Amino acid sequence: MRAEKPSEAAIQDWCVQYLARTLDLPDHTIDPEMTFARLGLDSANSVFLIVELEDWLRLELTPDLLFEHPTICALARHLAVRTDR
Amino acid sequence: MNQTTTGFSPQVEAGARSEFASLVDVLRRRSAEQPNDAAYIFLPDRGTERISLSFAELYARAREIAWRLAQRGQRGDRAVLLFSPGVDFIVAFFGCLLAGMIAVPMMVPRRASSRDASAAILADCSPRLAITRRDLLTEARPDLTERFRTAKLDWVIIDCPNEASGKLQNTAPDLGRDDIAFLQYTSGSTSAPKGVIVTHGNLLENSEMIRIAFGNTRRSTHVSWVPLYHDMGLILNALQSFYVGAPCVLMAPVSFMQRPLSWLRAIHDYRAEVAGGPNFAFDLCVRRHRPEELQGIDLSCWKVAVNGAEPVRATTIDRFASTFAPYGFDARSIQPAYGMAEATLLISTGRRGAGPVIRAVSRDALQHNRIVAPAQAGNAQMLVGCGRPPCGERLAIVCPETRMPMGPGLVGEVWVAGPHIARGYWRNPEATASVFKVQTASDGAPCWLRTGDLGFLGEDGELYITGRIKDLIIIRGINHYPQDIEETVQDCHPALRHHGGAVFSVPDQNDEEQLVIVQEMERTFRRQITPEEITTSIREAIIREHEIAARDIVLIRSGSLPKTTSGKIQRPLTRQMFLAGSLSLV
Repeated sequence: MRAEKPSEAAIQDWCVQYLARTLDLPDHTIDPEMTFARLGLDSANSVFLIVELEDWLRLELTPDLLFEHPTICALARHLAVRTDR
Repeated sequence: MNQTTTGFSPQVEAGARSEFASLVDVLRRRSAEQPNDAAYIFLPDRGTERISLSFAELYARAREIAWRLAQRGQRGDRAVLLFSPGVDFIVAFFGCLLAGMIAVPMMVPRRASSRDASAAILADCSPRLAITRRDLLTEARPDLTERFRTAKLDWVIIDCPNEASGKLQNTAPDLGRDDIAFLQYTSGSTSAPKGVIVTHGNLLENSEMIRIAFGNTRRSTHVSWVPLYHDMGLILNALQSFYVGAPCVLMAPVSFMQRPLSWLRAIHDYRAEVAGGPNFAFDLCVRRHRPEELQGIDLSCWKVAVNGAEPVRATTIDRFASTFAPYGFDARSIQPAYGMAEATLLISTGRRGAGPVIRAVSRDALQHNRIVAPAQAGNAQMLVGCGRPPCGERLAIVCPETRMPMGPGLVGEVWVAGPHIARGYWRNPEATASVFKVQTASDGAPCWLRTGDLGFLGEDGELYITGRIKDLIIIRGINHYPQDIEETVQDCHPALRHHGGAVFSVPDQNDEEQLVIVQEMERTFRRQITPEEITTSIREAIIREHEIAARDIVLIRSGSLPKTTSGKIQRPLTRQMFLAGSLSLV
């Protein structure tokens, strides 16, 4: 089990690296303020991102989350303060 | 009907003939003979309840909704079905059949998309009614009423308890094989969708063909996550189980995408015999395989693992079979299938337990539509056979130009005939005449369906699909028309000229189709906007409107897109130039 919870910055970095790998783009081109749609994340890849985040953070998440928090920044901010962590 | 010289199915004279008069007849029989057996079970996603419906309950609920429909419309009226995943879709579907109304299954349009096919479908079939659930309309998607305002739909809320209720009597209306059961809108572009007219006779005959090919019985429990508005989800899963009197366990598509192993777990839990999906579903299970999540799982019950709705890959079959063999999965259960809505669904498949047929051909020769053995291993392309025509169908490989039937080993267009070929496209006589009522050069009967797909028959009668005549793009089992995507691209910015783009797909390193966009950009706009900014806008618009990620977006000089002398966009040539790296970039 994980000792401490990842910080907002750590979650943000993780998302940038994950999306760079998934979308086959260099890390620096993934703007955390850009919407997931502008980054080119389709619905299937959105679900996969959620699943990977669940595995890593040990949280139950729904795919709607990316609709409610449509950028990496917003998502990381939300996940960092989730009380169920 | 005359016999063709090739592709003639030897069983044709015996012919599949379903014993039923209509789907309503099947429903009455099931309800009388096995009233308490489970017909449909909807598996809960986290936080929802498991819902089970017996054949008698299905009949009772369908009669209730049929009665309500009959108060508000007439026989032959179209009724749109708009549901999130669950058993209500099925109840509404049978309700329409009992009332003699024409069901029109439709995907719930995505919130963000502004030009999906829904508006054009409504305009095309002019439905009087729309059937849905209260929570979808009031909580999840309150925007739908406004979105469909101009269609002047009379909304029927299936779970509205206040409405006066009654039950339609057994006597009304009398339905036969020639009556229309439903319209399947999976063909045609977004702006010009085509509704395939499926009759009770079509459904019964294709269900009978599937039953024989799959060897299904009352014990053939199905587990399906494929959406019910998709022909594979409805006919191959939900209606086939019903037809043979077996239970169908339903899962939400998103549950499968999120936890593909839960599909395998359900197959184990319910000792299911039949479960299938498009090729990507099998890849996804392999990619998400976690041994610790599958402890104690036994898949030896799984006899028919149908792989259809997109090209079947040999590598997928190998990986899936070897990954899940330790859980008792038998590779011979994998059953590739080929079909389309215009043939109700199934056109060809293997036989239960026979296993897939895989054949190596020369990749270079195949590009020129010739089938020869590969000279060396590096040039081998593995083709997966899609089985043979089912009992009662005639299938021919025909030269698309001369319309002459072709012999085994030659690539031509796949043509099919039989009692499962749909009547045509709804209110579209031109498209119907060119696709459905076609004759070959060697026989006079205008009875053939042109599939638009290219393929050949092996000496043993096995059908191999090798490509398409039309520029259709298939990604994750969903058909996309290039012109729809090109239009979305061109609406992103004035620098992108209309009729100046080509969209196609190329396989990636995993042999999965990926979308590529090639678009001309006017040089005069270069000072206002960078190519990077335009690319980002295009990417976003493609996700919003079509739910697919573009693998590559290539902006080229205006006037450099390959076109014919008459100005027609040459997508295959553009694709070749993209692969060769010979496009003129901006």
